Formats: sequence, C-alpha cells, structure tokens
Amino acid sequence: MTTKRLSIQRYLPEQSKTPFWQDFDVPFDDSTSILEALNHIKEDMDGSLSYRWSCRMAICGSCGVMVNGEPKLGCKSFLREYPGTIKIEPLAHFPVQKDLIIDMEIFLEHLAAVQPYLINDSEDSTQTHKQTPAQLAKYLKFSDCINCGLCYSACPQFGLNPEFLGPAALTLAHRYNLDSRDQGKAQRMAQLNREEGVWTCTFVGYCSEVCPKSVDPAAAVNQGKVESAKDLLINLFKR
Amino acid sequence: MEKRIKRSDEPIWWALFSAGGVCFAVFVPAAILFIALLIPLGLLPVETLDFERSRSLLFSFPGLIFIGAVICLPLFHAMHRIRHGLHDLKLGRDKTNKIIAYGAAMLFSVVALLGFVLGNM
Amino acid sequence: MAKHVGYFPELKRNWWLKNRYFMAYMAREATVLPLVFFIVCLLAGLYSLLLGPGSWQGWLHFMQNPITIAINLLALGASLFHAATFFTLFPRVMPLRVGGRAIPAKWIILGQWFGVLLVMALFAWVFGRGM
Repeated sequence: MTTKRLSIQRYLPEQSKTPFWQDFDVPFDDSTSILEALNHIKEDMDGSLSYRWSCRMAICGSCGVMVNGEPKLGCKSFLREYPGTIKIEPLAHFPVQKDLIIDMEIFLEHLAAVQPYLINDSEDSTQTHKQTPAQLAKYLKFSDCINCGLCYSACPQFGLNPEFLGPAALTLAHRYNLDSRDQGKAQRMAQLNREEGVWTCTFVGYCSEVCPKSVDPAAAVNQGKVESAKDLLINLFKR
Repeated sequence: MEKRIKRSDEPIWWALFSAGGVCFAVFVPAAILFIALLIPLGLLPVETLDFERSRSLLFSFPGLIFIGAVICLPLFHAMHRIRHGLHDLKLGRDKTNKIIAYGAAMLFSVVALLGFVLGNM
Repeated sequence: MAKHVGYFPELKRNWWLKNRYFMAYMAREATVLPLVFFIVCLLAGLYSLLLGPGSWQGWLHFMQNPITIAINLLALGASLFHAATFFTLFPRVMPLRVGGRAIPAKWIILGQWFGVLLVMALFAWVFGRGM
C-alpha cells in the first residue's frame, strides 16, 4: 500500500503557546478520506491528536478543517485528490482550542441572533401549515445548511471582523424570511439591517464555492441586501 | 447579550454602487472604446470630436444622461469599492474612509453637473 | 461571549495573496482604479470644452499620449472584466421570474451583454452621424 504525507498543525496549549507542524505518513487508497486518515493517525500513530467528527457522510458538519488552505469537510475530501504533501489546519478565522478543534461559540451566537426557526403566533397554530410546491421552491435551496462553518472560514469579511453575522446565519435568516409559514421577518430584519448584518458582505463569493451542500450563501446574503434596502424604504414612508 | 440594534445607512451607498455598477458594465466600455481609444488612435477621424460638435453633443439632454451614466454613478461605484478595498487591506479607519470616499464622489459629481450648467449658459 | 482562549491568529493584510479565488476578487475590486483615471479624463475634457477651442485641442492631444492610451486600454479591459463578473452576480442577487417560472441565469447574462453591444451601436451611430 502506498502512503501519503499529512502535515498537521498541532496546538497543545498545556505544552506550548504556539502551534507546530507534525508530519505523518499514512497508508491510503482511492477511497481514503481525510477524516479516515486522521482516524488512522489517532488509532495507530499518535493518540494525542484531537479533532471533531461524527457521521462520516457530510450530514453532521463536524469535521471541517483547512486542507491545503481551503475549508473542507474531512469526510468529503479524499487523499487521492491531492498530489504531494497535504497540509491540514484547523478552520480559519476561529480561535483554536486544541489541534484541529476550534471554538465555534461566536458562530453559534450569530446563528441564535437571527432566530433560525419558524416564528408563527397565529391563532390556529394547532392546525398544520399548508404549503404549495411553489412556496417551498422559494426557500428550498437555502434550507440544506448543516452548520459546518466552512463558509465562515471562507469569508475574509468574517476574518476581518468576527462581529459580522456571516454567511450561514444570514442565509438561514433569509431562508425563514422566504418561508410562507413564517411571520418572524420583522424581528430578523432588525439584525440584517445592522452594519454587521448583511452590510459587511462585499460579495467575495468564496463561501458559495466551499459550501459542501451547494447552498449558495453569497446569493442569500445579497438577496438579503435587497430586502434590507426595501425595508429602509418602507420604513421611511411609514413615518 | 442584548445589544442596541442600529440600522445601517449602507442601503443608500449600496444602491448608488449598484446603479454605478450597471453603468460601468453597460455604458462605460463603449465610452472608453470610442472617446479614449478609437478617436485618439485615429481609427475614427479626430474631427468626430471637433470643438463645436463636442459642445453640442455634451451640453444637451443626451449629454446630461451621459454625465450621469458615465461620470456620476460610476464615481459612486468606484468610491464604494475603494472604501471597502481599504478595509480589506486594513488601511485607515472605515468611518474616515467612508466620509472621504463618498464625499469625493459627491464633490466630483457636483463638479461635473456644474460644468454641464456652465456649458448651457 | 466567546472566551478567546488558545490560539487565535489575526488575519494579515496580505490574506488575499494566499488564495487564487481571493486574488480574482481583489482584481475585480481593482477594476475601479483605471475607471477613476478615465473619469478624471472626461472631467478634464468637460472643463476644456468650457475654456475654449485651444484648451479642447490640448485635451485631444493629452488623450493621444501613449501613456494615456495605455491606461485607457487597461480601463477598457477592466470594464469588460467588471461586466463579466457583474452580469453573473446579477441573477443570483435578483432572480427574475416570469409567470411563476424562474428565467435561466444564462439568458439574463446574455441579455446584459446584448445591452453592452446595443450601447456600442448607439455610440457608433452618434459619432458616425454626418461624418
């Protein structure tokens, strides 16, 4: 079996304040994913390596890492795709807790801020909410997010200013705003209208490139700008 | 962690940026091609832009549309991108950059429109 | 608030040099630099028209300077590159629907390029008239 060299950024806060690189030669074939390679290292080579993972099939969104500088899901990227040494780092733009484990707290705060769930206080809330296929089609493509955070590592604006609500949170806000069953748009618009809402985005577009579920967050955020501009106009006429 | 929620004034600048972006893409290529390349290179006769003819072209209603679509709106587009570019390069404070950038766009738009008014007097 | 314990590298100002996609983004943003030069040329032209025929002749000479032509050639390239990026982004920001059906992005992009050609034809007609 041939081997491939994985160069992994290690960070062990108990031992050193700065990260260091460690190389591992991992056996692989055409079906070996980055995640499987990390598992192999942990089981057979160095049990101290830390990283997050769970489902192995691009559903849980836990195993995001930087592979040769690009945000990737470990389970959805394969060693065969990379000639030469593969550089593995923790997801960019987040504080690192240990090795490949990042602190996602700020991402979770941004998600919570946009209330990404159905808000509907109508009287007949015991009734099921009917929705036509056309109404579903309006938001469907923005509803596949798995909260993996790759888009935040792809976003230089989030890297420059972590207060920016960021691609996933703004996309989910847009997804619920487009849902015919939802009534929470007014509450979410207050967040979108902020400087750190949709307006920090400069349509770099890399978030949509790296999204493992092809959600196109860049489109959602920029449709959010149109909504925010409309919201400003409506607000001017209401007064 | 409730924060005071402040609405951004960015929709105004973004609307001007977008309108300018459309003009930069649709009107500016033709303007550069004819005014700054074909005529100066002699591929079209230079008399195309003789003094009297240019005056009557520019200081007319279509000339006013030209000033709006090729000077004023693209200026706002350019200054918006320069402002955000400075932020991307971590140069200066955004608050100051914003005032200077949009201030310049407004100033030169006024200069262009003033020229148009003077040309019609 | 997130406890920023551990290791948190700051994003350096050269972040965009580390990734091809970011370089293309910066190139797109930089298309406005030669645009500003072209606009300044036009403003100078406008005021030389106000100053009289001699000044206008001077402006025409300035426009024929090889350096001016080189920068304006760059500006033409920049405007077309900007158009290519802007036209692709447009249907993503404002997806258009007619009779409940989404118009394919390809058509919207083609329609915008048709607009560019139409304006070129308009310029050719205006400058070609009576020549």
